[in-house]
Amino acid sequence: MVQEVLRLQNLQKSFGSVRALKNASFTLGEGEVVALLGDNGAGKSTLIKAISGVFPVDRGDIYVRGQKVSIRSTRDAMDLGIETIHQDTSLAPDLSIARNLFLGREPVNLKWLGVFAPLDLAKLRDAASALLKRVGISKKLDADALVSTLSGGERQSIAISRAMQFAAKVIILDEPTNNLGVEETHGVLRFVKEVRAAGHSVLLITHNIHHVFQVADRIIVMRRGEIVAEQTVADTDLLTVESIITGADMSALLKETRAK
Amino acid sequence: MPVGKRGSSLVRSPQFSSLIILIVLLAVFAIADANFLSPLNISNMMAFLPELGIIALGMTLLLTAGEFDLSVGAVFGLAPVVVMLLVQNGEASIGVALLAGLILCVAIGAINGVIVTKIGISSFLVTLSMLLVVRGAALYITQGFPLKSWDQPGFFVTLLAGSFNIGSFRFYTSLWWFVGLSLLAIYILRYAKLGNWISAIGSNRNAAVARGVPADAVKICLFILTSVLAGLAGMISAFRISAASPVAGTGYELEVIAMVVVGGTALTGGRGTILGTIVGALMLRSIRNGIVLIGVPGLAYNIFVGVIILAMLILHALLQKNAARG
Ligand SMILES: Nc1ncnc2c1ncn2[C@@H]1O[C@H](COP(=O)(O)OP(=O)(O)OP(=O)(O)O)[C@@H](O)[C@H]1O
Ligand SMILES: [Mg+2]
Repeated sequence: MVQEVLRLQNLQKSFGSVRALKNASFTLGEGEVVALLGDNGAGKSTLIKAISGVFPVDRGDIYVRGQKVSIRSTRDAMDLGIETIHQDTSLAPDLSIARNLFLGREPVNLKWLGVFAPLDLAKLRDAASALLKRVGISKKLDADALVSTLSGGERQSIAISRAMQFAAKVIILDEPTNNLGVEETHGVLRFVKEVRAAGHSVLLITHNIHHVFQVADRIIVMRRGEIVAEQTVADTDLLTVESIITGADMSALLKETRAK
Repeated sequence: MPVGKRGSSLVRSPQFSSLIILIVLLAVFAIADANFLSPLNISNMMAFLPELGIIALGMTLLLTAGEFDLSVGAVFGLAPVVVMLLVQNGEASIGVALLAGLILCVAIGAINGVIVTKIGISSFLVTLSMLLVVRGAALYITQGFPLKSWDQPGFFVTLLAGSFNIGSFRFYTSLWWFVGLSLLAIYILRYAKLGNWISAIGSNRNAAVARGVPADAVKICLFILTSVLAGLAGMISAFRISAASPVAGTGYELEVIAMVVVGGTALTGGRGTILGTIVGALMLRSIRNGIVLIGVPGLAYNIFVGVIILAMLILHALLQKNAARG
């Protein structure tokens, strides 16, 4: 197996009486695209929010490159090289593309002024333009344009390029193709492939199994807060995965999974 | 504050359309009554302007971050009352009393901010309750009577409410406070890292938090800032008229919010403009002043003010729609 980048061990998380995450463990390898599947409410978003520091887990360990880490804030996760693009939008629509790309990591002059330091606007704009060019966003986008003027697909591309730009080890995408048109969806899938080619690992959450078979190396299925199946894409097919997700004939499939 | 292209987008920006309306209004008042542009009248307007304008600066930043504060008018009343009581009862020198008033404002803002961010109650409800608490406190400790203010000249009086003449115009030092604080607010919102955070929090709080922006801390600081500016404005006003009334500033919260939104700041957060707020403050001030001069009956003022505010908001909404389409 390729070198391990991220390993989760027995993660647990409850919201009051709802056990959103029961005992989740899995490993993500370098340059690997893993698809996380499961019905609504299975706990997928909860799992990735725990990894990206949105909230702490109740129990369980997270390892990055074999080192045990504690992720208490989104800043911790970012510093560990984990970049997340959340389901509930990742951009501030009233800010320009450039300001969004560097939100939380703004280039400034006079650093000693802390939060009062003036933004290095020239650098901000140049770096943003260079990045937009590098990730090859087909339509010419102005780094000064407000994000609210962009299409859903363009926004998703901006969010993904931001994740790539900070050379993240792990990029997590929560339903990145939601609400996107055909062309925009292909754009996002192309991004995922490029990201992998550049050596990043990707954790992809989606409800579209067809997309999974186009880009993923491995599939993980969650049900009611638990990981119920784990298979490499080459060893399975669409119908099998579909029935695992819906829970049809679970016992037989679980046996099959264990046998492998 | 979005960084837009200069030129065409400046013309379409909300603060620009507000500026045009302001100029039209000033022209109408000036033609209708020659006294409108007289030194005495301009001096009068400039005396009142900073008091509400200073609060509006804080409110602009707070609104941009997606929250607002209804307790500013009450804080405007309470702060000077507390200061004067401490001095009159001989419990503190004027300097110490002012410091105590300042700390009180910090505390009120901090309580607002912590309840809104940490307990998650809307700022409308929290600051509405705070309005009642603070106004009630001012009435109770004064038993409802206005206090005679500190009228002996001294360093602090000059600092807050000193006046000077330029030609036949008479200006108060509060104008300098307003100018200085405006420049600072413009810098913060447009050019500083903090301003980027404030706009991002108001535009999409989750996105900002996901990028490691300390949204709650920023909001709490803005609540404190707004409260402190309201207290400062209250003291400036009390020193200027040499009296501190427990009912001073009644209704100011709505007047201030009107100034801010008339200037083009979005009530829903994310889009704030200090220049627009300055224009908005000038506009509301000159409307109140102008309609008196052109002979609108006193009891009808608010009809005019309300209609003009509504017209401005409709204009902004239409421009916004146009920009989205274009
Ligand atoms: N902040 C929260 N407070 C309370 N319950 C929550 C919270 N977040 C998630 N849950 C609950 O935890 C469970 C898992 O939710 P989660 O968002 O992880 O599902 P999901 O797999 O991402 O679903 P979807 O495919 O619809 O996005 C659900 O029952 C949900 O109601
Ligand atoms: Mg989800």
